[in-house]
Amino acid sequence: MLSVKGLRAKVGENEILTGLDLEVGPGEIHAIMGPNGSGKSTFSHVLSGREGYEVTAGSVTFEGQDLLALEPEERAHLGVFLAFQYPVELPGVNNTYFLKAALNSIRKARGESELDAVSFLRLIKEKLKILHLNDSLLKRAVNAGFSGGEKKRNEIFQMALLEPKLAILDETDSGLDIDALRVVADGVNALRNPERSMIVVTHYQRLLDYIEPDRVHVLAKGRIIRSGGKELALELEEKGYGWILEQEQAA
Amino acid sequence: MNGAAPTSFDTWLAARADGEVGAGLDWLEAQRRSALDQVREQGVPGTKQEAWRYTSLKRLIEQGFARVEDEVTALQLDDIEELLIPELESHRVVMVNGRYTPSLSALGDLPRGVRVTGLRALLASDPDALRERLNGVAGESQPLFAALNTAGLDDGLVVLLDRGAILERPIELIHLSVGMDEPRVAQPRHVVSLADGAQATLIERYVSLGESLYCTNSVLELSLGRDAVLKHDRIQIESPNAFHITGLYLSQDANSRYVGVNIGLGGAWARTDLVTRFSGEHAECDLQGLYLAGDRQLMDYHIDVDHAVPACSSRETFKGILYGKGRAVFDGRVVVAKDAQKTDAAMSNKNLMLSENAEVDTKPQLEINADDVKCSHGTTVGQIEPEKLFYLRSRGISAPLARRMLCMGFAEEIIDALHSDALREAVSEEVGRRLETAPLT
Ligand SMILES: Nc1ncnc2c1ncn2[C@@H]1O[C@H](COP(=O)(O)OP(=O)(O)OP(=O)(O)O)[C@@H](O)[C@H]1O
Ligand SMILES: [Mg+2]
Repeated sequence: MLSVKGLRAKVGENEILTGLDLEVGPGEIHAIMGPNGSGKSTFSHVLSGREGYEVTAGSVTFEGQDLLALEPEERAHLGVFLAFQYPVELPGVNNTYFLKAALNSIRKARGESELDAVSFLRLIKEKLKILHLNDSLLKRAVNAGFSGGEKKRNEIFQMALLEPKLAILDETDSGLDIDALRVVADGVNALRNPERSMIVVTHYQRLLDYIEPDRVHVLAKGRIIRSGGKELALELEEKGYGWILEQEQAA
Repeated sequence: MNGAAPTSFDTWLAARADGEVGAGLDWLEAQRRSALDQVREQGVPGTKQEAWRYTSLKRLIEQGFARVEDEVTALQLDDIEELLIPELESHRVVMVNGRYTPSLSALGDLPRGVRVTGLRALLASDPDALRERLNGVAGESQPLFAALNTAGLDDGLVVLLDRGAILERPIELIHLSVGMDEPRVAQPRHVVSLADGAQATLIERYVSLGESLYCTNSVLELSLGRDAVLKHDRIQIESPNAFHITGLYLSQDANSRYVGVNIGLGGAWARTDLVTRFSGEHAECDLQGLYLAGDRQLMDYHIDVDHAVPACSSRETFKGILYGKGRAVFDGRVVVAKDAQKTDAAMSNKNLMLSENAEVDTKPQLEINADDVKCSHGTTVGQIEPEKLFYLRSRGISAPLARRMLCMGFAEEIIDALHSDALREAVSEEVGRRLETAPLT
């Protein structure tokens, strides 16, 4: 479904991604862990088409298409979704209007009819419940003045609404209290299906107790230096990254 | 005129075949004469004068607009249907080319103590009601365009509320311009006066049929008695070829409250002067504005707030969206007199630039002569933030729609301040329409 080969990307003069390889099959959940500043968010951004990164080598193929050649909205139309590590506040942009514009843009691009106001509201209410979000959030501006936890839940809420094929969750768990973590994890699990893949970027093993990954990768210095099953996450939790980095250095 | 040296505005003031309105009223004749003298004295201000530094009058002068002479009588309600906002329940006054047009107006029932009428009609029926009020706020010595308006006094809207009178529904003035045989200037003069404790909402809409070239030079004198409350929405959507000049002169007595929302969308050249003076303590003045300027458009705002007495508060919050080769000027000035302690004044002007060819000159100034005051001013000129754009696009929203949504989000604060849902919706739609076709370079 997603195939990343030898991906290198620069910001200005700095090479951040230094030859990253990753294969994600349909329905799989891959966790990416790694030290601060190792390039996890950069990778998420490059996948979703954010400007400011120069890809110098490698390829990203999503369902047979060259993802890097597409605009961000085109990627979203194909079913790529990024839950931001730092969701952006959009003062003045009404949340309901935003959600409707997003959903209908995607539906339109896929040749589906736009949802009318009633079906849209019904859908939205249903998804809100899954995320235990108060519908007063709908009347507010997108993320504006939302608490950290509300912002993160709002990301997963958007994911639930847009039903992507590939969801990239960039540290969706950080800043969530224990109950919210549970809610978000339940929301994510509810969306699990054999066609939907996910890349879950996290620093904490705890999220992976709830969302069980098929694979766990360690991203360091811009590439994947170790991959394993979910037991790798436990090992990292216990021992940190030092030992892998040392082994990597020695090799 | 009168054999004196010609001014550049003689065509504006050419003698009327049927004589001037209120002829024979000595006080009015005197005001007119004095105004004419001032027009002569001032000549045509050049860009060396501070108030005109960024705004050239060249095109306006060269155009030589002719004074509106004939009443437009052929218009029927059907013709202006598209300009009405059906959901807006109002006492409607329609003026066409500066002339009050009863056949298109729908005043409905007015409560006791409220008078809504045409200036011309009132000068004929009860001139004394205007004697103290006409030029009562604008004052004797007037800036050029106010003086021109006085010298060419013709018609306008008069709203008089007695002490304690409360108007529930808004008064809606629709000033309609229709193209004539040649480019004309209309100079409506409005007088709105709220006695102590009176409350009203006033909506002014400047609109046109077609895209003709004309000039509107309007003056509005507003006076608020003690504890009076006026909510005022002003929407300028003149023809894309029009010149629009407006002077709003506001005087506020103790504890009065004025909330004004000024939307400037139309016209090729639009100049707005807002002049506020406090005459009693604890009065509040809240001026908000939104302007859009695109190709061949200039939006020019001059705001003068005079904190002459203590403990009043004023807010000026203006936002602009500029695109194409649009230009805007924001020249705001707040003066706090020596004795005006406990003044609370905040002025802000934010501009969103959608193209590199657009230009804004923004210059908020505070002149504070008292020491115990709370004053602030701020101005920003920025572009759409890339991370916001990316956030929207990452959700599948196309770049043009995302840009528009962010612009609307920027404008929202001001549109939201309008005083009726129907108006908010109408303005939102109009702003959206303009942004949809806005060139981004
Ligand atoms: N726009 C940028 N300009 C300069 N440096 C950048 C930019 N974006 C990312 N970097 C650098 O790239 C490196 C990787 O950043 P990135 O945000 O991808 O790390 P991360 O793995 O997500 O870290 P964290 O776990 O703290 O979220 C960092 O050193 C960061 O400073
Ligand atoms: Mg990160």
